[in-house]
Amino acid sequence: MSHLIIQDLHKSFGDLRALQGVDMVVEKGEFFVLLGPSAAGKTTTLRMVCGIERADQGRVVFDGEDVTGAEVRGRDMAMVFQTFALYPHMTIFDNLAYPLRQSGMAKADVVQRVNEVAEMLRLGHTLARKPGTASGGEQQRVAIGRALVRRPSLLLLDEPLTNLDAKLRFDTRAEFKRLHRELGMTIVYATPDELEALSMGQRIALLRGGRIVQTGTPDELYTKPQDTYVAGMVGSPKVNLIPAIRRGADDAPLVEMPFGAVQNGPWADALKPFPVGSELIFGFRPHDVAPATDTGGDDGDGGGTMRIAAKVHLIEPLGDVVILDLTAGETQLKMVLPEEQAIRYSVGDDVPVNLRVENSFLFARETGTAIC
Amino acid sequence: MFGKRKERGLREAGWGQTLFAGAIGLIYFFPVLWIIMTAFKTRTDALATPPKFIFTPTLDNFVSVFWRVSQQGNEAISTGFGLYFFNSVFVAASGVLLALIIGTLAAYGFSRYPLKGNDTYLFVILTTRMLPPIIVIIPIFLMFRLTGMSGSYYGVILLYAAFNLPFSIWMMKSFFDELSGDVEDAARLDGSSERGVFFRICLPQLKAGLAATAVFALILTWNEFLFALLLTGSDTRTVPVAMARTIGGELGVDWGLLAAIITLFLIPVFGVTYLLQNHLLRGVTFGTIKK
Repeated sequence: MSHLIIQDLHKSFGDLRALQGVDMVVEKGEFFVLLGPSAAGKTTTLRMVCGIERADQGRVVFDGEDVTGAEVRGRDMAMVFQTFALYPHMTIFDNLAYPLRQSGMAKADVVQRVNEVAEMLRLGHTLARKPGTASGGEQQRVAIGRALVRRPSLLLLDEPLTNLDAKLRFDTRAEFKRLHRELGMTIVYATPDELEALSMGQRIALLRGGRIVQTGTPDELYTKPQDTYVAGMVGSPKVNLIPAIRRGADDAPLVEMPFGAVQNGPWADALKPFPVGSELIFGFRPHDVAPATDTGGDDGDGGGTMRIAAKVHLIEPLGDVVILDLTAGETQLKMVLPEEQAIRYSVGDDVPVNLRVENSFLFARETGTAIC
Repeated sequence: MFGKRKERGLREAGWGQTLFAGAIGLIYFFPVLWIIMTAFKTRTDALATPPKFIFTPTLDNFVSVFWRVSQQGNEAISTGFGLYFFNSVFVAASGVLLALIIGTLAAYGFSRYPLKGNDTYLFVILTTRMLPPIIVIIPIFLMFRLTGMSGSYYGVILLYAAFNLPFSIWMMKSFFDELSGDVEDAARLDGSSERGVFFRICLPQLKAGLAATAVFALILTWNEFLFALLLTGSDTRTVPVAMARTIGGELGVDWGLLAAIITLFLIPVFGVTYLLQNHLLRGVTFGTIKK
């Protein structure tokens, strides 16, 4: 059963149109990620799901019930705020106990529940303290604990890792996956970080300017981006996008780029109706570029690879992998190599590379939408 | 050495700096100190030139705050100072409390549920304090006469509450504005009612703000003279008015007596400020919200 259905949600704050028709369906028990840059409408969407914000238009259906105009309290959902929003004047114990006490739970049960959650989140030693004296990681765990303590069936997480340092962020990502598996609740998770989205989300909705651009599994978003925006948002390092022109015969299209032409990509059939001379954007992942090992090889029309004569322009070591910024004529492109392969190269070297055409994308330049 | 001090987050001042700061402090405190000293001086010591710093203290002035000798010279008559003192405490405390209650509620409204033209309303509220009190005292005096509030406790209390309200609203509103709205939304999600959000989430976070507002309002009210002079009766007279009435008479100003009254008059304000000083210093940001 669909746990949460959002239909055509609109919201404006004065002149700012925060949401312009958001539609999404979250299944029961799903880890659903809202991915998008700041001001894309992630927080606003979450705030309308839990009722803090009223929708101008559209519906929110939760557990089969229309809750669009319903009161905030009494919903079987909890939210973790980006700012944590802990109660600064209460001890951490009281922070965790607050939702339970509001529901009128018996004292002994409250103590037991709080202790359970505190143990699960390793907060036992902090319970008597005020949130202000706790570390960033502890505060974040308190915020999560306060959301989990009344066992909501839907958990909303608004950029919960943004205020943490890199190491803690990494650990907590795994923690969220574990919690989701163990507690089996539905999670809607908002983040601007594609790594978080790809590593945790079962499905991802990519937001831009108050609209959902594409919804799908991480794999779908990575391999079948619907436009240049999705291709650019998902995947690290960023996708290579090269301006191109449609050439060739009507039924044998050719994509011409400054450093050569390519054909027979996955987009070949879809490209046929486009007139010769159409402006395109050719896209490929830095992972799909590799140094050409042999001097012969093919030239792009046979075995699904394209040879590019490139020069090393910049080297960015990232530990186990290295990003090589290459130039092919006037065009810049990126390649990712394992560290042991990359040490062979230094800035200024000529590197002939092969591009795997079968994984490439093609977009119409004017609209940015995919041709496939 | 310097690095170590820095690590601890505070740098101890040397003797030189401490003495210098102490000297500055003494200059500021000197008038108060002088009044307190005068309160313990005989009339001759109080008027001596050059001024005396070393003298034999006496409590005579404090006795004459409360009692004076009758004209026949054989009876001690109460000056009524005890009543005036009570009046000052009662009127100031009630007025400030009332202003604080109404002001806090109004400030919460202005901060959380802004009306169309919110800023205009806030400005209008402040304009009531822009006129010099001497201008408004005549209409108010006439209104008090008409309604029979003249000389009553509730009349002065209401007036002082109204007098402190604009200030309380503005100050409390700025404190409410600083609170994180997320915290209140979290409480609503956690099942809190609107009343619960106000009383159990907002107010406890604003103890420092309430204390600061209360102290400022209290000092203003405590020292208020003009309204008290014209609107209190003999039963509801406050200390500043009583103080003024000791000036004059056939012997000129009795400086020792006046100083003794002022010394007693300072004690409550000192006390309240001392009790609330931790709140005053702590400020209102607690560092649990990362912005």
